[in-house]
Amino acid sequence: MEYQWNFAPIFAHSDALLVGALGTLRIFVVCLLLGLSLGLLVGLARYSTRRLLTWPAAAFVEFFRNTPVLVQIIWFFFALPILVPFEISPMTAAVLGISLNSAAFSAEIFRGGIQSIEPGQWEAGRAIGMSYAQIMRRIILPQAIRRMLPALTNRGIEIFKMSTLASVVAYVELLHQGRLIASLNFNPIETYTVIAVAFFLFLYPLVRATYVLERRLGRSD
Amino acid sequence: MYQWDFAPVLANFDLLALGLLNTFAVTGTALAFGVPLGLALALARLTGKPLLAWPAGLLIEVFRTTPPLVQLFWFFFALPILIRVEMTPFMAAAATFSIQSAAFFAEVFRGGIVSIERGQWEAGRAIGMTHSQAMRRIILPQAVKRMIPAFMERAIELMKTTTLVAVVSYADLLYQANELAQKTFRPLEVLTVAALLYFVCIFAVSLASRALERRLAVSGETTVR
Repeated sequence: MEYQWNFAPIFAHSDALLVGALGTLRIFVVCLLLGLSLGLLVGLARYSTRRLLTWPAAAFVEFFRNTPVLVQIIWFFFALPILVPFEISPMTAAVLGISLNSAAFSAEIFRGGIQSIEPGQWEAGRAIGMSYAQIMRRIILPQAIRRMLPALTNRGIEIFKMSTLASVVAYVELLHQGRLIASLNFNPIETYTVIAVAFFLFLYPLVRATYVLERRLGRSD
Repeated sequence: MYQWDFAPVLANFDLLALGLLNTFAVTGTALAFGVPLGLALALARLTGKPLLAWPAGLLIEVFRTTPPLVQLFWFFFALPILIRVEMTPFMAAAATFSIQSAAFFAEVFRGGIVSIERGQWEAGRAIGMTHSQAMRRIILPQAVKRMIPAFMERAIELMKTTTLVAVVSYADLLYQANELAQKTFRPLEVLTVAALLYFVCIFAVSLASRALERRLAVSGETTVR
């Protein structure tokens, strides 16, 4: 007997999916902003020559790069509330896990990008009397960020995919809503197919854009 | 001030050890199927025959751009209804992560193969080798050496991704830790120990891979990312 596909119940719940999609977008934007800006700070700390800065930054990067992000989210949700005096919402736990994880990964991208700039650029800045911070801000970072763009877009795509993990601590996002719809209507095939297609349709243009960006930067450098 | 107490964790350490073994089992199975499948996908994508290259490319892109948790749910909840088999969490996880890592390994293989200079192909053809002979005897042996660092990185990513199987209640390290946390009412200690266990295992592999990368760099091999 052939399986009868029926997508009608999913369209009947399209409002629930919309709420989920908004939840996904919200956590994506928050984690992207927090993850990248924290990553820049950690990357700068790792690049500096002061031991007091490089050591903690290196420990942070190694720890968060070498543990699974789901373990981090679960730790923030179930273990951290015991240590701190306030409640941790699913959103907070997921944002902490995903942002710190992406900060660790993007810190390495920022460090690599800064290191890839030729020493001559530093010397030129110093020759016209700029301070370290001025050179970094006005000369090094603008050039480095251009080179890092493909790697950073990849990070963004990873963050988007990671946002589904927030459903494990019952944060309302697309996959969480899909799970509800599937258990209400007993139609996991259609629901999970729709969700997978939705993610693919959203992310595939970004992936193509990254390829194009890589090729164009490769040519101009 | 919270009183840390690791005694309940240490008393039940065998549960966590079992979970860690199961984590290795899933990772190993996914690697065993994912690497050959990834090589096949990469070769299919590189053939230049649209009938082979297109489906391989589509499979690679779909599995690289959808979240692994969505894939796992699809394989665990949807596929059993379509093909009418009972799916255990282990089977679902093995299938998902084999195909998913194959998609990533395919790109690693492709990068490695493409990075070999054209002269190597021409030399093979000049002494009368066929395409598949040149691939097997000249190109792949050199490409595989260049791919080792990217390959190790993917394997580490794979091991971290396998924690998702805890969500479909396969008894991996994270699942066992969660169970133990509920049983002992010590989530802080149990989850911290679990995180440290993951860190120790994965960090060891990372260090080994960095050492290997340095040795390859010394022997003059460029690495493919």
